[in-house]
Amino acid sequence: MMGGQPQFVLAAVLGVLFALGTYLVLRRDVVRVVWGITIISQSANVYLVTMGGLSGFAPITGHGGSAESVTDPLVQALVLTAIVIGFGTTALALVLTYRVYEEHGTIDMYELGGHGE
Amino acid sequence: MSTVVIAPLLVALVTAIATLVTRTNLTVQRAVSLLGGVGYLAAAALLFRSVVLPLGSAGRTIVYQVSGWQAPFGIVLVADPLSAFMVGFASLVSLGALAYSVLYVDAYGQKLSYHTLYHFMVVGVTGSFLTGDIFNLFVWFEVMLMSSYILVLFYSGPEHTRAALNYVVLNLLGSAVMLLAIGGLYATTGTLNMADLAQRLADGSNVAVTPVLGLSAVLFSVFALKAGLVPFQFWVPAAYRAAPAPVTAMLAGVVKKVGVYAIVRLYFTVFAAASLPVSLPFVSGDSVLAFFGPVMFLMATASIVLGGVGAVGRTDLDELLAYSSISQVGFILLPLAVAATAESAAVRTLGVAATLVYAFNHALAKSLLFLASGTVQEAVGTARFDQLGGLARRAPILATGFLLGALTLIGVPPLSGFFGKLLVFQTAAGAFSGSAAGAGAALAVALAGAVLTIAYYTRAWNDAFWGAPGPAVEASLPGRWSGPVEIGAEEGEGTTGSDDFALTGQVTVVLVLALAAVGFGIGFDALYASATAAARAALDTQGYVDAVLGSAAALAGVVG
Repeated sequence: MMGGQPQFVLAAVLGVLFALGTYLVLRRDVVRVVWGITIISQSANVYLVTMGGLSGFAPITGHGGSAESVTDPLVQALVLTAIVIGFGTTALALVLTYRVYEEHGTIDMYELGGHGE
Repeated sequence: MSTVVIAPLLVALVTAIATLVTRTNLTVQRAVSLLGGVGYLAAAALLFRSVVLPLGSAGRTIVYQVSGWQAPFGIVLVADPLSAFMVGFASLVSLGALAYSVLYVDAYGQKLSYHTLYHFMVVGVTGSFLTGDIFNLFVWFEVMLMSSYILVLFYSGPEHTRAALNYVVLNLLGSAVMLLAIGGLYATTGTLNMADLAQRLADGSNVAVTPVLGLSAVLFSVFALKAGLVPFQFWVPAAYRAAPAPVTAMLAGVVKKVGVYAIVRLYFTVFAAASLPVSLPFVSGDSVLAFFGPVMFLMATASIVLGGVGAVGRTDLDELLAYSSISQVGFILLPLAVAATAESAAVRTLGVAATLVYAFNHALAKSLLFLASGTVQEAVGTARFDQLGGLARRAPILATGFLLGALTLIGVPPLSGFFGKLLVFQTAAGAFSGSAAGAGAALAVALAGAVLTIAYYTRAWNDAFWGAPGPAVEASLPGRWSGPVEIGAEEGEGTTGSDDFALTGQVTVVLVLALAAVGFGIGFDALYASATAAARAALDTQGYVDAVLGSAAALAGVVG
């Protein structure tokens, strides 16, 4: 390993991202909740990439060193899949938010729950 | 032939696409969809035949290497008796609910997207049952959930959007958490293949087992969310009320069982291989599984009690059934909790078999009850108890179907539910006689849950079917509407001929499912034999590893 520095920075960033996502999910505004979920699922992707190691060479034959020194390509394939899925679900969640607004005239969770009417 | 493994998957996928292509013609689309449902049942039966039969044998494990990539590196689909059992009952319930949907969902809705989404949901369910790779499991979960989001949202009224919002947000969070757990497991163990994972955990020399325990606990919460166990049950009642009746039947009957299956497969087959000394207040053992015993027990107890008490107090038939579903999933988990901590192999096998039999009964009975409730709502216009009553006299055949479903869940012989309950009690009693800690408590919980089940189904029966007809029943069913037998006798009494046909068809589907519950009760030997084979396969980690990785070695020999 060529030093754990980037991993450490990313660990801190991940912590901040999860905290931010959790904070947003707990808000009353539905749009913020959707933002929060998006941030949480993106941080899960960043976490996955971090698991593959960051300091290796590109895992392409002839582009770098031996098999031991390349970055794990599998996690990147996983993240690619997860990003595509996340793209679809985020679009659905946003459309759903709009439908909720159309049906209820509000995107406040508290009012949606039947309070404050 | 290993292609039999992907047969159900392919049939469902092709049907989903075919219904999309034929959406301009409703008759053709319906025919294609139903044909696909029957084809799926046939493919599942074929899989069952080549994996489980003959009954009483240990069964086989068939492995399909996707694209011919060898097992630890490529994705594998594995059909062992456990997977075949799950696919088998999923195909039964999904065909029933599909036939019902054709008669229940309005023409515009069917034309729009209903059939396509329904079959994609079946694809996701089948993939989850068959995959042998944990990341692939995540992908199949997403396929299944994506379709179910839109099906829950199908009517898109105020209630439906609100319920779907809860459902979507909770499941998106669940997906993110699942991804985290899977990433962590990959980083810790260096593999995503379930068989390889089990082998590395059993070996233990290169793997730190303690983080695996934590990560598997995180993963457990995701499966509990899918199964709707307390404390992850919040989405259940609203989502079940919002979805169209046949979709609710699928969600309660099949989609929930995917969570149960994942718990059995991952915790009993894979994580059980890791040896880790556990000593907690009530339990001690040398496997990761022993840690989950008390966790499952608490969740099962809370689900049985909260779901049961919640169901007794409902004022609406659909809500009562949704709360009952929470309670019944507790019953499904309870024998697993006993099996997780049991010392003897016999009790373990019995426990897992009890879970599978109970899951089967619940799938059959609860889907038929939700379908019956859907027909009540279509015929009467409401499912509120203060509006219902006297349906037993006005719609006797529908009432018979409902009664059989309720009696199945209560556990009255000779219905198949009796044996499900019996096995749950037998598991707890077996552990009790082996003086396992907490077995007495498990018995008490099962007994309390059984009493609660009787209480809320008695209430549903009394309020909706017996007594004097309620105002809504009096208004919409002034005379006796007896469904399949006296069709045509009520012509011109407010309902049109096609309505009558649809309702008659719906009642027929309910009745067929009810008769299936009777049939599986009378021919219980076959069900029990296949559940036992499935339980043995679930607990035989070494057999699973050999089948998956051994066949990879054989394939390498052929190719290389």
